Amino acid sequence: MTPAISLDGITKRFPGVLANDDVDLTVERGTVHALLGENGAGKTTLMNVLYGLYEPTSGRIVVDGTERSFEKPQDAIDAGIGMIHQHFMLVDSMTVAENVTLGTEPRKWGGLAIDRDQARQDVVDLCERFGLAVDPETRISELSVGVQQRTEILKTLYRGTDVLILDEPTAVLTPQEIEELLSVFELLTDQGKTIIFITHKLGEAMQAADEITVLRDGRNVGTVDAEATTREELAELMVGREVLLEVETSSYDPGAVTLSVDDLTVTNEQGIDVVSDVSFTVRRGEVFGIAGVDGNGQSELIEAITGLRRPQAGVIELGDREITDDDRRERIDQGMAHIPADRHERGVVMDFDLVENGLLGSQHAEAFVNNGRIDWKRTREHTETIIEEYDVQPPNPDASASALSGGNQQKFIVGRELARDPQLVVATHPTRGVDIGSTEFIHERLLELRAAGVGVLLVSSKLEEVRGISDRLGVMYEGEFVDTVDPEAVTEEELGLLMAGEQPAQEVSADERE
Amino acid sequence: MRELPSLGRKTLGGVVVLALVGGVLSGFVDKNALSSTLRLSVPIAFAALGGIFAEKSGVINIGLEGHLIISAFVGIYATNLTGNVWIGFAAGVLASTLFAVVFAIVCLEFRADQIIAGLAVWLVALGLAPFLSTVIYESVNAGSAGFDPITIPGLSEIPVLGALFDAKPPVYLMLLAVVGSWYVLNYTAFGRWVHASGENPQALDTAGVSVKRVRYASVLLSGVLAGIGGASLSLSLGEFSGNGQTMVDGRGFIAIVVYLLGNYNPIGTFLSTTLFAGLQTAQIQLQSGYLPSSLVQTIPYITVIIVLAGVGRTRTPDAAGDHYESGEE
Repeated sequence: MTPAISLDGITKRFPGVLANDDVDLTVERGTVHALLGENGAGKTTLMNVLYGLYEPTSGRIVVDGTERSFEKPQDAIDAGIGMIHQHFMLVDSMTVAENVTLGTEPRKWGGLAIDRDQARQDVVDLCERFGLAVDPETRISELSVGVQQRTEILKTLYRGTDVLILDEPTAVLTPQEIEELLSVFELLTDQGKTIIFITHKLGEAMQAADEITVLRDGRNVGTVDAEATTREELAELMVGREVLLEVETSSYDPGAVTLSVDDLTVTNEQGIDVVSDVSFTVRRGEVFGIAGVDGNGQSELIEAITGLRRPQAGVIELGDREITDDDRRERIDQGMAHIPADRHERGVVMDFDLVENGLLGSQHAEAFVNNGRIDWKRTREHTETIIEEYDVQPPNPDASASALSGGNQQKFIVGRELARDPQLVVATHPTRGVDIGSTEFIHERLLELRAAGVGVLLVSSKLEEVRGISDRLGVMYEGEFVDTVDPEAVTEEELGLLMAGEQPAQEVSADERE
Repeated sequence: MRELPSLGRKTLGGVVVLALVGGVLSGFVDKNALSSTLRLSVPIAFAALGGIFAEKSGVINIGLEGHLIISAFVGIYATNLTGNVWIGFAAGVLASTLFAVVFAIVCLEFRADQIIAGLAVWLVALGLAPFLSTVIYESVNAGSAGFDPITIPGLSEIPVLGALFDAKPPVYLMLLAVVGSWYVLNYTAFGRWVHASGENPQALDTAGVSVKRVRYASVLLSGVLAGIGGASLSLSLGEFSGNGQTMVDGRGFIAIVVYLLGNYNPIGTFLSTTLFAGLQTAQIQLQSGYLPSSLVQTIPYITVIIVLAGVGRTRTPDAAGDHYESGEE
């Protein structure tokens, strides 16, 4: 059988960067093919070449046995290739049917009007044929992310796509939505469609794909059968060396309470309560994790704790001191380190060099002040220590933050924050957009602090992460803690339900009886 | 039930209330007042309709005032040259469209800041029209033949509403343009593309429609519509006056207020226009009373400010003012 897609020696060179280096890729018709690799491995570039967004420097694209060259996405669409980007290409204020038919609207009255009934019917038919449940009349802004994604899939199907490319489709979904997406994959392949999806998550690739191709540094380092491979094998292919997937945690021996949050209520800019009456404590020598789908109040909660947002009500204590009304500086002085969620927004100043960035947050600290002026010599030494200890690449204190990759920026921020000798570390998405190697490294550092008796408050939307290194795990939904669970005992399904605001039936009744 | 597209019930309600207020204030009591309100609405309504198309597609055309000025002058000049009001009218529209072409090229090809380019259009027209008038007529003011009213027998006899059937051609054109724009924006594929181009151009681009072409078309259309407004303004009177702010006197900026008030919906925008024009009518009538006339003249503007504050914020298209280049991340 002719493969649906066959890429032959694709090389894509950007000024100064070799993004794809002689990549071969064969995708069989009616299969799910995962493209696995770390950030910057060239996965998205390769798919953008296939989709006509980039022209390859050299190499051939063969679609269904015919060699093609794509100058623009429309050429790829005409050849039956559709791509769903990480950021959805939907108009929020339009309905599902309007979005699906955008650009190819069915017309009536000699083209003078859109045939709305036809458009709706087309979408209903498409939904039925592929077993997708979407209401064509709902506006995109009213839909959950999972359904928006399904709308994107409908959009490509409406244009007669045979090969569907999805860029990190699960990054924004809850575990249940991921399950649904994977069953959609099955429905589509049953109908003869071919799916290529980009991911850096091993588990997903193994679960959903028939075949997995691993990219590293722009090269294809191996295509394996998803049934036959192991997580360890894939991780090694991705990173190029053996990786410890299970984090070793030392015994759990928590000490005194370091952070105590009592009945905290926080409002957002619109004055709506986004955190309601939340109470919890973090003790020395433990990692307290907060899991939840993004946007359920985690960021406002963290902003209130770190002093970036004034809470409406409630008390926050650090050690034995109340810090509810303290500002950032006082909190830093009290030993609170913060790894912010958005490193560009709050972690580093992109135009500053590393020495200047290394000073951020410590500009008042006596160690860095000499006669009322900043002691740059001392700051430089400090920065060099961070760079060395945290293996920041390139190891150049005069490089500006923008010259570093995301993973290295993050390592630098983690290094700077942990160097404050804190009693509490508030880490939000500490490994977001960071590759496996650096993730492993950051986790190890956090666990070292835990072993040294520091309290760690960890917020992450990655389930693996919060389950892997937390000792206790609070699940947030719509501004409240649905439950606090033991991350080792809870299953992924239970956690998924909690994140969707539902108490697993049995546990609720057990709690209520007590 | 099919709801009125993109005209939220709240907005609709608000605008109806406003139009009623305007109606009462303008004294919708006689045919003359309505007639005057409609006449004063023409340039504002056309400029506002043009502004809607441009801004909905993602290009903020703040230079509507300039389009009105240049078309007002060229309309008069070409009428004098040819002796035909309609040819003069067409020439005025053409002049405004040429300005729009330049504006579109500067914004879409050279990625100029839309606000600055728009202000340049205004300033160029503000200087150019009186200058040309001085060169040609040796005065910043010029006169020519103007439109004659078209009176529809019978219908024009209806009390008050008869004003709708006893007017100069631009008034009829305006009513057609309002309904036509509403139809195009809500029922045609082009209207949908305009909407998508202003909200999420990437979505439109990936759907295989050229964002640039949609934006060119929308900006040119804004030039055509504003040109009709400007030529109508001068040719209804048969004169162009270029003193100070020229005879256009800020109508192009009022148009922006008006379409924001009308929430980018042509019908809502027209109702807001009549509110403003109605206030202007009332103001003219009040000037013969006790209040100092300079104070009375501010009534329409003050009312608009109050109304704007009361109605609250209009949501502008997400991508309005942003450059978009296909293939860029």
